Amino acid sequence: MRNVWLIIRREYVERVRTKAFLISTLILPLFMLAVTVLPAKLAGMKAEGTRHIVVVTSRSSLGEAVKRQLTKGTEAEGAYRIEIDDRVTEGERELLRSRVSDGSLDGFLWLSDDAIASRKVTYAARETSDFIEDAGLGSALTVALMKERLAERGIAGADAENLLKDVNVETVKIQKGKESSAGGMQQFFTSFMMAFLLYFTLLVYGMAVMRSVLEEKSSRVMEVVLSSATSRQLMAGKVLGVGAVGLTQIAIWLVIAGALATPGLAASREMRAWLQLPPLTIAAFCLFFVLGYLLYSGMYAALGAMVNSEQEAQQWQFFVTLPIVVPIVMLTFVIRQPNSTISTWASMVPFFAPILMYLRIVVQTPPLWQIGLSLAVLVATIYGVLVVCSRIYRVGILMYGKRPTLPEIVKWLRYA
Amino acid sequence: MNHTLELENISKSYDHFVAVDHLSFQIRRGSVYGLLGPNGAGKTSSLRMMIGITLPDSGEVRIFGEKFRRQLLMRIGYLPEERGLYRKMKLLDQLVFLAELKGVSARDAAHRAASWCGRLQLGDWMHKKVEELSKGMQQKVQFIAAILHDPDLLILDEPFAGLDPANAVVLKDVLLEQKKAGKTILFSTHRMDQVERLCDSICLINHGKAVLEGELKQIKAKYGKNNVQLEYEGDGNFLDESPLVERCNNYGNYVEVRLKPGADPQELLRLAASRARVNKFELVEPSLEEIFIDVVGAGNA
Repeated sequence: MRNVWLIIRREYVERVRTKAFLISTLILPLFMLAVTVLPAKLAGMKAEGTRHIVVVTSRSSLGEAVKRQLTKGTEAEGAYRIEIDDRVTEGERELLRSRVSDGSLDGFLWLSDDAIASRKVTYAARETSDFIEDAGLGSALTVALMKERLAERGIAGADAENLLKDVNVETVKIQKGKESSAGGMQQFFTSFMMAFLLYFTLLVYGMAVMRSVLEEKSSRVMEVVLSSATSRQLMAGKVLGVGAVGLTQIAIWLVIAGALATPGLAASREMRAWLQLPPLTIAAFCLFFVLGYLLYSGMYAALGAMVNSEQEAQQWQFFVTLPIVVPIVMLTFVIRQPNSTISTWASMVPFFAPILMYLRIVVQTPPLWQIGLSLAVLVATIYGVLVVCSRIYRVGILMYGKRPTLPEIVKWLRYA
Repeated sequence: MNHTLELENISKSYDHFVAVDHLSFQIRRGSVYGLLGPNGAGKTSSLRMMIGITLPDSGEVRIFGEKFRRQLLMRIGYLPEERGLYRKMKLLDQLVFLAELKGVSARDAAHRAASWCGRLQLGDWMHKKVEELSKGMQQKVQFIAAILHDPDLLILDEPFAGLDPANAVVLKDVLLEQKKAGKTILFSTHRMDQVERLCDSICLINHGKAVLEGELKQIKAKYGKNNVQLEYEGDGNFLDESPLVERCNNYGNYVEVRLKPGADPQELLRLAASRARVNKFELVEPSLEEIFIDVVGAGNA
């Protein structure tokens, strides 16, 4: 036991001390922040400065409506400065084109009667890649036109405003008979992010075990350690030590998330909602990380013992990595239909269970018997895998040179 | 308890390859024992069974008079043939870790490591990572790791391989000092000169079997003084034709002669005196190297 403890401690201390650990601990939250918050923030930013636009239409009422729609609700400066022009002629169009070219104008909306009738109008401008602006113009025109038509039918003012109000769908999750405010989008995001994090940590720490075994084998330090400790102690110490590093990193991430979720630090309300993880989510995450890690790290340890170099390992790695990747392919499906037959049975497969059962618990807690069955199958599989893998490990770490064939590995399992 | 280590008929095979074949020998307490043999003879396989890295298929390993138990490993130091250390780990941390695995407290281990590093000129390197050290230095670190817990039995696989002459002398001194302190040392090697200078007893193995075992003095005596070094002036051809000579190595005016079993050296002297002018005639013991080549050669034939 003392040996296992010493090996765990060495593995843990040597890893946590490295710069790589510090960097990966900090990089991941930054990366998550970057891919989730930044694009939304940037895309949401209004184009800089005021745009000077000419609305060309023979119907001044429509022109006024478009102007109101586009300048409505904007700040004092306003995103648009609108000019209304009622000369719908080729000559005027030519003139406007030249004004756009020389920069005295940003663009013009060409609302000829034909165009309005066919509901296909032209916006001519210097910069045309801003699709959000396009969408804004489109909806402003639609609303303006609708208002005009409604006015023709005698509905105007507040009545028209009421009719045209957007409908907001608020998603409410029902859990144990109570409504919780977690919205669909936010829940999707959180579940997806957490499942992906689980996948990522399982893969990273599984491979860390493999690389660690490989390093001991190729540097031959293995033999020195084996003159004091048994191969079983060595493998147990390694798996537990690296796993402890993983848990440490996850704990740091959870603390960071918790800190960012406090009102003072959160950049936005949405972000707070995303980062406020319910205790059940955290507990399930830790449980399934530990189980998934035990399952996969044993396999990675055996793989590391079988091969002689990183390159050789890469050729075989696929077989261990594949079952971790499958759940990621199913992620969106399981989040959307957590209780479908496919989701249910896939989460019973021990190699997928760590990620898929976790996901189902977080999205919509399945019946207890399903969780129990999945856990029982998983734990039994972990036991079996560790027994088999520790045998491969025990023989493999002392075999140098030739890569073993499958029949040879089967033979290793029978060695006393 | 007279014997530190006893092997009784141990055998080990991998698949159909017999690595060790009914090997038996005993190592007297406080002696230096040499395990010799050509590459692939089963030296490393035998050593691995002595420290429980692998278990013999049959036979028994007894250490300190007891049947092998893992607790006994605390009193054994092992230097593997393939040197290996954690490359990214600092020298001192590494030594402390390996000593702790042998049951030494961290504090004692650090203390002893510092004193050994000082003695082997590694004092300035204690806080450096192993990968920054030269090969020779790593070798010394490995040796310190084997001896740090003050073991009663030192098992060293090719301890002199890769050491420069100065460091080889330091290592030899340390080994002799350990012997004086009553420790038992077993090492495997190809270097016959080291064996002749250090070992009390040897075992020569080939194809996993002991082909020659016992005290060095007795072995040499058994092979007898049937070697002659001869310096002469004149024609040396008579040596090739003489029925007394089994083999000779002629360097022109100097020749090393191996006599046939039972041949009388005096007769050779008379023959030589009658054919050439003899400047020097000396009976010598066969070198271990000759015995080695002899025995292994005969075994392979």
